Amino acid sequence: MAHVWRDVMAVLPSSETESPLVFGEVVEPSVLAMLELCRKELYSSLNSSCIEKAQVILDYSWEKLNTGTWRDVDKEWRRVYSYGCLFKAVGTCHGETSQDKVQDAIKTCDLGLLMGASIMDNALQRLIVVLKNKVMVPSEVEDSEQPCPKKLRKEFILRPIINPALPVQRVRCPALESFRSEFLESEMPVILEGIIDHWPAFREHTWSIEYLRAVAGCRTVPVELGSRYTDEEWSQKLLTVNQFIDHYIMGQGEATTGYLAQHQLFDQVPELKEDIRIPDYCCLGEGDDDDITINAWFGPGGTISPLHQDPEQNFLAQVVGRKYIRLYRPEESENLYPHQFELLHNTSRVDVENPDVVQFPDFLNASYQECVLEPGDVLFIPKQHWHYVRSLELSFSVSFWWS
Amino acid sequence: MNWFGFGFNGFGQITPQRKDEEQDIRLLSPVALDSLCTCAETETHKIVASWSRSVVIHTAGERRCVCLHGGESSVMVSESEGCEDALLTESCLTLSFTHTVQCWSLHRNGRALAWSGELSTAENTGTALPLPLVPGGYIASKPPFFQPLSRHLQAVSLALGTEHAVLLTASGTVYTWGHGSHGQLGHGTLVSEDEPRAVEALWGVPMKSVAAGGWHSACISAGGDLYVWGWNESGQIGLPSKGLREERQREQEMIEKDKLKGGKKEDEGTSDVFISIQAFPALVDVSEAAEINKVSCGSRHTAAITSTGDLYTWGWGLYGQLGHGSRCSSDEPKIVEFFSDGRMSVEDVICGLWNTFVSAVSRDQVAP
Repeated sequence: MAHVWRDVMAVLPSSETESPLVFGEVVEPSVLAMLELCRKELYSSLNSSCIEKAQVILDYSWEKLNTGTWRDVDKEWRRVYSYGCLFKAVGTCHGETSQDKVQDAIKTCDLGLLMGASIMDNALQRLIVVLKNKVMVPSEVEDSEQPCPKKLRKEFILRPIINPALPVQRVRCPALESFRSEFLESEMPVILEGIIDHWPAFREHTWSIEYLRAVAGCRTVPVELGSRYTDEEWSQKLLTVNQFIDHYIMGQGEATTGYLAQHQLFDQVPELKEDIRIPDYCCLGEGDDDDITINAWFGPGGTISPLHQDPEQNFLAQVVGRKYIRLYRPEESENLYPHQFELLHNTSRVDVENPDVVQFPDFLNASYQECVLEPGDVLFIPKQHWHYVRSLELSFSVSFWWS
Repeated sequence: MNWFGFGFNGFGQITPQRKDEEQDIRLLSPVALDSLCTCAETETHKIVASWSRSVVIHTAGERRCVCLHGGESSVMVSESEGCEDALLTESCLTLSFTHTVQCWSLHRNGRALAWSGELSTAENTGTALPLPLVPGGYIASKPPFFQPLSRHLQAVSLALGTEHAVLLTASGTVYTWGHGSHGQLGHGTLVSEDEPRAVEALWGVPMKSVAAGGWHSACISAGGDLYVWGWNESGQIGLPSKGLREERQREQEMIEKDKLKGGKKEDEGTSDVFISIQAFPALVDVSEAAEINKVSCGSRHTAAITSTGDLYTWGWGLYGQLGHGSRCSSDEPKIVEFFSDGRMSVEDVICGLWNTFVSAVSRDQVAP
């Protein structure tokens, strides 16, 4: 592992002066002094005291990230946080670098990507590329780690009975214009077939457990614990993809459900972005490709997204496994009992598949459509349409929010 | 009386950094502050601190002035001659005099007067108000600095947290306002309040002092009970914190892994009532025998002195701010043995963001 340090330092400019630390006024001089000292020690190979100062920078900016609402946090503090992560990660790679240290450094970079802002020409992403090559892949990969039903966590999954009167329409590769006139403009949900079959995720890079481990196993991601985000005990935790798979997919004695949900994984792991394509139909919106939010939804059978609505158009692409989905038009809102809280006002209080009809009597009056989304299907959910989603087995979906 | 400090010393704000050696930015146990001030004053009345600096206030003797430490080198603030009280934030040093208040913005190479206000003598009742209170209002660390307060509140002391305020009135009622997302206002919700609002849960229990931390608050009743509320992320409320327990468990597992075979998980079956946010005041048992005399809150830690002169600390401990000789955090109050074992009686405690300042006297000097 002797080359780690050399390769890692190559991510940074060759001298201190080439990477000026410039921040807005909101960042106090004392913080800047600490950053400069930390960088100096990094270039002087005083790594233990550099790591300590990087931690100070991380802790101080973390407090700033937790001050006020996330939206209002000054971007400069997110940049400071990223610098702390970068300096700490680089410092960690000095000297004898064990596998554990490399893994620690990757995690530190990921925290910077998750909570910080881009710095130094995406240095954190570049550092991860270097570090990932240093992570030893276990030579003996267990032969059949494919989602073989025996090894997956066992969950009693209720099979939905689809009312034949209420299905979502299915269309195979409609022309752009006909999609626009028949579905987009009339705000009609529809399942598009055959529009993602060409994704590498279905072909040369089939998204298997093994493949996801190889591409993203060492990466730290936010995982939702508890079956639905409206539950009292619901929480979020940072885990590596490997830990998530071990505990919540392969099911080694975990009682709670874990769900890698609504996470912009494809920005964090560009390699995975190569395996998907933005659906052509998104060009009917007004924004650029950069305005499209792409989220990953990866979890075992039994994950539930409570009935809710989003402010943008949505293509929900199903890559692995099947999901049961129920849809209500925006006009039904008053029958769906949204939460009163501002934070949850886009979420219904009703447990869709087991409604409390005494507390929510009008819910049964609401008309809906339902479907089971199969691998290769893309569901168009018009903006503001209420949707409830339950995975029927190991599932990986990709959502595209666009306007 | 001797002053001590412990915790974050990244800028030499507790003890000067030695240039030649690898600096220790964490002081895990209390160190005496004898050598911190090089000015002629020997009597220290009070110490206040921001993240990177500390201010020693010499107002007990004949001359009154403050000395600023950390950040740049230690200096006696010449403009502070004759001041009565001082307040420090990361960007601002506030000095109060008999008739004026001054806010000095702190830069890398010195300071500049940012704001100055006359104290109207008409409203001056004779008893000096402790900063940040001034007659008719209080001083914030950002422009426009002066914030008016309703006279009807009859404020006697005010504590400013990172984004909230806790006020004590002459009748012992506690009012809070500001950001409420972490339960720091104590109204039972996570909602913010623009105007001072009485903490109803404490009604009928007169309070004698208040404190505010980063995202938590504390007060002491006239009878010596301690109430704390807000964010319990590092155990700063003194109630079971999930994060801390999990961390401890992980460490335990690491140790067991090293020993090859681990037994059963230690925490299994123990109480799973963890508190992450305490949105109502909670009565915290610090010591069975004694009442609480003083309390102070850091960014994520809390310190309290009992009527028997013992210091207890809890919350975030990574920089040594708990003074227990380790970097461990604690979600239950623990006595600081440095003082109890050293036969010292603690008289005052003031928390900086990540550090703690304490004054103590030898028990042998205290009359029996």
